[in-house]
Amino acid sequence: MAPLVPKTGDAIFASIDRVNAELFTLTYGAMVRQLLTDLEEVDVVNKQLDQMGYNIGARLIDEFLAKSNVSRCVDFKETADVIAKVGLKMFLGVTASVSNWDPEGSSFSLVLDDNPLVDFVELPDTFQGLHYCNILSGVIRGALEMVSMKTEITWIRDMLHGDDAYELRVKLLKQIPEEYPYKDDE
Amino acid sequence: MIACVAVVGHQNNPLYLQSFTGADDALKLHHIVHCSLDVIDERVNNPKRSVITLNESYLGLLYPTESYKVYGYLSNTKVKFLVVTTDLDVKDTDIRSFFRRFHAAYVDAVSNPFHVPGKKIISRIFAARVSGIVKAFAPGTYG
Repeated sequence: MAPLVPKTGDAIFASIDRVNAELFTLTYGAMVRQLLTDLEEVDVVNKQLDQMGYNIGARLIDEFLAKSNVSRCVDFKETADVIAKVGLKMFLGVTASVSNWDPEGSSFSLVLDDNPLVDFVELPDTFQGLHYCNILSGVIRGALEMVSMKTEITWIRDMLHGDDAYELRVKLLKQIPEEYPYKDDE
Repeated sequence: MIACVAVVGHQNNPLYLQSFTGADDALKLHHIVHCSLDVIDERVNNPKRSVITLNESYLGLLYPTESYKVYGYLSNTKVKFLVVTTDLDVKDTDIRSFFRRFHAAYVDAVSNPFHVPGKKIISRIFAARVSGIVKAFAPGTYG
């Protein structure tokens, strides 16, 4: 019998170690600030944040699968729900909502009303092109790639640029079949 | 009526100065704030030795002039908050609660990773919050 799939991440969130939210926010802020000082260009920083997120996501997926007991997702829709309700809750402490499915079911919008990464942050005018939470898009992309889904993630709405919520568009590019590194007959 | 509010850093560098009256007496308000800094320094260096000032952040009335009163509040990091008011009778509790909110807004503004400590506060959200606190301040409305 497969273990029960958690419908929300609340129980897991309550049971794993947590860190102070302000410490997390301030650390992330300091890191973005330092990246801006080092790299100077907003586009380069965006790319770097995405790359960092990708590396995090690739490792995070293992912890997620180990702690959360979710079974294999049947389709992309289920993947979306699992990310929004279980994954984000477990690691960020907030849930997102899934919306705006396109007709083929290959891309969706993830809407976050509350985002602990951006507490207290106000973007100055010189850095208006910065996607402050770009690390999130990298994390999701990295994690999904490790479970054989190649995705493309873009920001649609960003509260730091004046919108009312954070919206990420996740588009499934293709499913990569699992490849075994060893040949079966050797 | 609150004439102006000011935040001064620990090296007496101005961090935020906002006047809420007509612009013509802005210079005079700046001058008053400057003089009040001296009063604060005096109070800080000559504390009333009998009482160990645990949480005496609130300095109270610093400097009554002909038409203004200046109240001060010192944070533990030596950041000074000053408010210049034209009201003749202001309740202590009102001013204390004003400073508490002012301090909270300041803390949020400083937690912005794009704020450089020691430089002026350019956060628009902070300016809006301070204006809101000043507007909400009306003597006698709070218990």
